[in-house]
Amino acid sequence: MKKIAKTLLLAGIILSLFLGPVFAGGSKESASASGKTVIEVWSEDRHDMEYVEAKVAEYNATNTDNIQINLTIISDNFRNMLQMAFGGGTAPDVAGINAIPINMIASTGIAMPLNDFIANSPEYQKVNDPYNQIYEGTNAQNGNIYWIPTGMRSGVRVIYNKSLLEQCGYTEIPKTLSEYIDMAADITKQGNSRFYGIGFTNASPFERLLEMVSEMSGIYYYDYVNGRFDFSGYKPVLEEGRRFFTENIAYPDQQGVDNMRALFSVGMFALWSNASQEAAVFTEQIPVQGFEWGVAELPTLTGEVTGALETTPSKGWGIISSTKHPEEAWKVIEFFQSEDFLKGYLEAGYCLPSTDYMASIIDSSKTGRLADFALKPYETVYPKPPAINLSGDDYRTVFWNTVQGYIDIDDAIADLNKRYNEALDADVASGSATRLVIKDYDPLHPDQGTPEYLTE
Amino acid sequence: MPQKQLKKQIKKDDKKDKIAAIIMLSPVVFLLLICSIYPFIWMFRYVCYDYNGFQATFTGTRNFTRMLSDTTFWNSVGHTFEYALYKLIFIIPLALVCAVLLNQKIRGTSVFRAIYFMPTVISSSISGMIFTFIFATQNGILNGILMALGMDAPIQWLTSTDFVMSAVTVLAVWGGFGNYMLYFITGMNVISEDVYEAAKIDGANGIQTFFRITLPMLSPILKVVLMLAITGAFKDYEAIMVLTQGGPGNRSMVMFLYIYNLIFGSGLTNMTQPQIGYGALLSVVAAIIVGIVTIAYQRIAKKLDDVM
Repeated sequence: MKKIAKTLLLAGIILSLFLGPVFAGGSKESASASGKTVIEVWSEDRHDMEYVEAKVAEYNATNTDNIQINLTIISDNFRNMLQMAFGGGTAPDVAGINAIPINMIASTGIAMPLNDFIANSPEYQKVNDPYNQIYEGTNAQNGNIYWIPTGMRSGVRVIYNKSLLEQCGYTEIPKTLSEYIDMAADITKQGNSRFYGIGFTNASPFERLLEMVSEMSGIYYYDYVNGRFDFSGYKPVLEEGRRFFTENIAYPDQQGVDNMRALFSVGMFALWSNASQEAAVFTEQIPVQGFEWGVAELPTLTGEVTGALETTPSKGWGIISSTKHPEEAWKVIEFFQSEDFLKGYLEAGYCLPSTDYMASIIDSSKTGRLADFALKPYETVYPKPPAINLSGDDYRTVFWNTVQGYIDIDDAIADLNKRYNEALDADVASGSATRLVIKDYDPLHPDQGTPEYLTE
Repeated sequence: MPQKQLKKQIKKDDKKDKIAAIIMLSPVVFLLLICSIYPFIWMFRYVCYDYNGFQATFTGTRNFTRMLSDTTFWNSVGHTFEYALYKLIFIIPLALVCAVLLNQKIRGTSVFRAIYFMPTVISSSISGMIFTFIFATQNGILNGILMALGMDAPIQWLTSTDFVMSAVTVLAVWGGFGNYMLYFITGMNVISEDVYEAAKIDGANGIQTFFRITLPMLSPILKVVLMLAITGAFKDYEAIMVLTQGGPGNRSMVMFLYIYNLIFGSGLTNMTQPQIGYGALLSVVAAIIVGIVTIAYQRIAKKLDDVM
């Protein structure tokens, strides 16, 4: 009997050792030792952590609502982590959900609509102008608002080495893509392997120049009027883009973004293109050394802007529907989207203001080079085309392979039209997607049409 | 003690032992069920679904028909075989030769063993990053050496479809041969010194000793190492992901990298969903492919045993 008891005890210890970590943290306490209501907040942004953590500490020490924010930064696999936590009953109360496609948070019931909270909060309305920041398919669906952005990331700009351009006889960025490539070719030629005209990263390179040139030239991958994917318009841009490689214009390697930024910062190539995050990158993270850098608008096919350039609404907070404290969670969102919080945040240059009110409040002289990326009149948020289950490579990969000469342009377009539309038709038929149609679509004002979501 | 009582006692002891065995095994069985068998069943469940991590939609056989026409996947299977072939051709002989050399009684061999083994313990993402600098076209160390030796123009190791598989193979061999080398050294250590002495007395030279004694006596280890190398080569993708991301033009896209991209990939945009269901199906197919290759290898190895 003693032996059995010993064996049981031993097995119990072994089991508890193995299972302890498995079940640890499975339950969540919503009240702190001091009796405050703890609101769990998840964010996937690490770049602004220092500012956000400092403000949260201040809020925890001073708020009179008896709330304590417990902030967790999860910069990897945020979507999966949130989904797993929601499924396992350990989801946070509030999360930064602006980077998660709306269909994953709305129809699944993970996020809670904020309409009633917003309607009852005049201060929130004053600072965040929510009713002018509703982007169907991005932060709202079927009249339900799930988050409101607190800032904007600009569309793509040309970032250039002024000294290198002047040395090669150029003072400004050309208006047409063809002239832009000619200039890059000439700089590469003059550089004679010491420096190059342009550099590309291996991380979504098509998106960082040619796709956005296409947008400003009125070319987009989704035909909103007919509710179909249509890649045919990209042909002239791809034909021009091929010159970067057939004429050996581009810096010979395409490395990670930071590697390429570092090469730009030491003057290895003259032209780089990316959005407003580069303001902080080239002043703090990888400071430009020994030359002056400028920011210019992207070229277009004809020199005229005939389509809107895509901007990205950022830093939006939502309430996770499993919360037991929705009122307190909303108070936390009010704090994150308050004038005081946003003033410091925007002045620190983490993103551009998304409302006229905040733009008038902040001291733009404090935002540094971010001011060079101020939003243009032709920049806006596109209605999100349907998210589909695609087989094979996405269009950005295929088009970059096309630009590099690995795939024929016509074959690539035919293949993408076929695969994307087959996937869309199948997803609409199975009910996992809806077909977005905007009959009164205007390429210069894509956000101003009337969206319809069709189930066939 | 009467026989009947003795039998009863033995039976009682057996029962106690069985209970003890069951209790002692239970943690392992539990972990096996939770960490291995349940995920496997879970994976099978989703092969007939579109599942984006939040919402699952039953699609019947659609994933199967998609797979059949998914040229990117089948090309990645071809690249996987090509990569595995290149890797195995170089890594096994190199590991064996190094093992033989470092198994000699010479001073400093343990230092070399440690140096050659070191890449095995370096994270593949770090080694991928390091080799990005080594293979850089413009300022890369390798091109620098080759140019100093008289090469005319730098080679585009990572951005040319002609050279990228060579670069990927070099990284794979560098990162893995030290591990196999240690297996071989361990195998050699169990070969009796008497056998070598007898061969020496019979007048066998170094090459004869290697082919007539070392290699045959190492064959059980060699078989295991080969099997590990084959399955390992088919499953490699981390270093390739860092080094080339499967490019240029998908030339270095291997099947597990493609599956990773479908489920977690950085290429996922707002209009393409994480495809956990389809990825699960491709994982099953990839596992079957690796399984078939392993079985084929085992049969060939058995036939060779019979012949020898």
